[in-house]
Amino acid sequence: MVSGHPPKIIDLQGPLSIDRAASLKEELGSALGENDQVLVNLSLVEEIDLACLQVLYSARAQARVQGKELHLVGPVPSRVVGRLEACGVVKGSPERAEDLESALVGF
Amino acid sequence: MALSIDRFKETFREEAHELLGHLEDDLLELESQPLNTELINAAFRAIHTIKGSAAMFGFDAVSKFSHELETVLDLCRNGTLSITQNFIGLALKARDHIKQLMDFEAEIPSQVEAASAYLLDRLAELSQKAKPDRSEAVPAKAQGPIEPAQEAGDRSRTYRISFKPSSGIFKNGTRVLNLVEELAALGSADVFPHMEGIPALDALDPEACYAWWDVILTANVDENAIRDIFIFVEDQAELRIECVQGVRAEAKKLGEILVERGDVSKEDLREALGSQHKLGEVLIENKVVTKAQVESALVEQEHFRKQQGAEAAAGSIRVASDKLDALVDLVGELVTLQARLAQTSLELQDAALASVSEQFERLIAQLRDNTMSIRMLPIGSTFNKFRRVVRDLSLELGKEAELLTEGAETELDKTVIEKLGDPLVHIIRNSLDHGIESPEVRESAGKPRTGTIKLSALHSGAYVLIQVSDDGKGLDRDAIRSKAIERGLISASQELVDQNLYQLIFEPGFSTAKKITNVSGRGVGMDVVKREIEALGGGAYLESRDGAGMTVTLKIPLTLAIIEGLLVRIGKEFFVVPLSSVDGCIEIRREELEALGRRGIVSYRDELVPFVRLRDFFDFDSSAAGEPEPDIEQMVIASAQDSRVGLVVDQVIGDYQTVIKPLGRMYRDVEGISGATILGDGTVALILDVNRLTFVVQKEGGRRAAAGA
Repeated sequence: MVSGHPPKIIDLQGPLSIDRAASLKEELGSALGENDQVLVNLSLVEEIDLACLQVLYSARAQARVQGKELHLVGPVPSRVVGRLEACGVVKGSPERAEDLESALVGF
Repeated sequence: MALSIDRFKETFREEAHELLGHLEDDLLELESQPLNTELINAAFRAIHTIKGSAAMFGFDAVSKFSHELETVLDLCRNGTLSITQNFIGLALKARDHIKQLMDFEAEIPSQVEAASAYLLDRLAELSQKAKPDRSEAVPAKAQGPIEPAQEAGDRSRTYRISFKPSSGIFKNGTRVLNLVEELAALGSADVFPHMEGIPALDALDPEACYAWWDVILTANVDENAIRDIFIFVEDQAELRIECVQGVRAEAKKLGEILVERGDVSKEDLREALGSQHKLGEVLIENKVVTKAQVESALVEQEHFRKQQGAEAAAGSIRVASDKLDALVDLVGELVTLQARLAQTSLELQDAALASVSEQFERLIAQLRDNTMSIRMLPIGSTFNKFRRVVRDLSLELGKEAELLTEGAETELDKTVIEKLGDPLVHIIRNSLDHGIESPEVRESAGKPRTGTIKLSALHSGAYVLIQVSDDGKGLDRDAIRSKAIERGLISASQELVDQNLYQLIFEPGFSTAKKITNVSGRGVGMDVVKREIEALGGGAYLESRDGAGMTVTLKIPLTLAIIEGLLVRIGKEFFVVPLSSVDGCIEIRREELEALGRRGIVSYRDELVPFVRLRDFFDFDSSAAGEPEPDIEQMVIASAQDSRVGLVVDQVIGDYQTVIKPLGRMYRDVEGISGATILGDGTVALILDVNRLTFVVQKEGGRRAAAGA
């Protein structure tokens, strides 16, 4: 834990496609600006495309630079994981987002 | 020690025979498709392997001779020598000669030696002839980087693909992940994404692409198939495809892979290898490569390891077939015993026992399927041999003929297939010699010059039907008749129906050939065919159409086979319908049935299906059967070949694992029954021959239609 403040939880839902990438960047950026710890809940996500996936990677890098924490939480729909696995972004078949974090290549 | 060397030699012989078999198939295929490079490669590999192992086990003559054939095939492989019928003829002769040489180790008899010398001269002539052209041949083709997989004994190739989308690729809606997914689906792929280029949020353009991919793919596709996937993003991505090597090559060391990929120079590698740490770590520490580059190379290394592992696993072992026989017998006993167990658990109404019995049943079903599949081989493996027979014999007889095959995937017990070889050769030789006319005669009869012999196999209930038909002149009825009278098989006044008359040519010593060729006409052959087929528990039948050819049908039972059946009851008797021919079951009231007539037609899924009441067909007397006819009867809709038939029974009981026991000679002429099986309580159930029943029902229907009209 970075500080005593409760972590900020961001619930994402629906398909995360290219048209959500800009707003997702804003949302994660401001959350990281105001909080030391940000949890991104992926359980209601239907799909992630490369643009939004890049934003998640980017936010993680941002947190690292700022000495903060960003984690993925919640069970991840197997459809989402399956697609990511098929294109090599995820190794193994994690069910929970916590495991997804370590399974995501270079996250 | 000597003993174990001998055993190796035996294994070598077995394997070499197998390879020579493949070589023959490939050469025959090549004759019809001379430009098929895959076939040339396959033939080359076969002879290459024979040469290598022959040298290893001291079969020097084989090795030396194979070398010459290999040289010639190599010339074909690089396009210097073109493939002609003469070439195939010579290559086939050389292949036969190698087979002969395998019998001798060191001391070769002089006549075989002479044959070697003759064939070697001919082969040398061919390669000499090809030489002058060789200098003009484009050397790039032989050693170009495009086809390094040729040497590998597999048609799959391994590609190293790097896909770097441009940063603006999202703008026109391209779904990059889908492309990668599609690429990976081409074969066995290991995908490594490079996410290291994604900046922190401050610097991120959310609509730019930063990620790129390294993919190592082993697939049976060419480079174009890979490029096709990226065809719409050609100008928005950098795509590099490199064919690495065949899957049989050894998994490389990490350093080699990094050098090959151009990530590391040889000097850097040597330096890094000098220290005693893990190569990857050292290289990253020295900032020669990034972590992602090493990880990606490791993925590639793992890919090759997996491919090698898969190959080792796909290997096979040789087992004596009598061990398999014993296994099948035991499984048959187990299946019967399981039926008793199921029956007992039903009677005892014991839930625990029932659950054990059910588990047992599932396991046994798997065991049965596995065991049967081990013994079964597709008959196609022998079909190829006959193409050679047809080719050589038609040349020898000055006739033109081609062999068509059908149902090569039909599976038969291994021993049955082996025993079928000789009879089929006899029949085909017979067709070619007596049936197919010379090209001139055929032309004047308005037939194509080239005759056709069709070899087909299909499952028919508990039997496999193998048919050899030709479009030749058919059997000479009068000649057979006079010959039969001459040999005292029939009296001059005796009239026989065609079917019975034709059957006479299966008699020993029966030949109507006016001149004896070295092919057939000696009167041995057809009787041997009949004897061998009968030894397998089958039968041989003839049909002939005057001037249009003849058909020999061999009916081979699947003895020892265990099938899934549908158990039905009529009165107190049980019958099994092979489940593979069951389409469905419908209920039908007796009044309806009476209204439709005892044998009539019923509508099933918008199709009119003729049906037969098995109670009538098998002449069940309802009082003798002990069970009255039920008010609602059931009809099993069964399909045979391409038509359906309804079989009316009292009750459909359920599926039943059936161990087929052949019926004895006494029951040979019973129509509609193909075998028997023993039920759980020890009673015998007869297995219905759906094909035969369909035939009878349709014939009956036809007759009644004719009578009605």
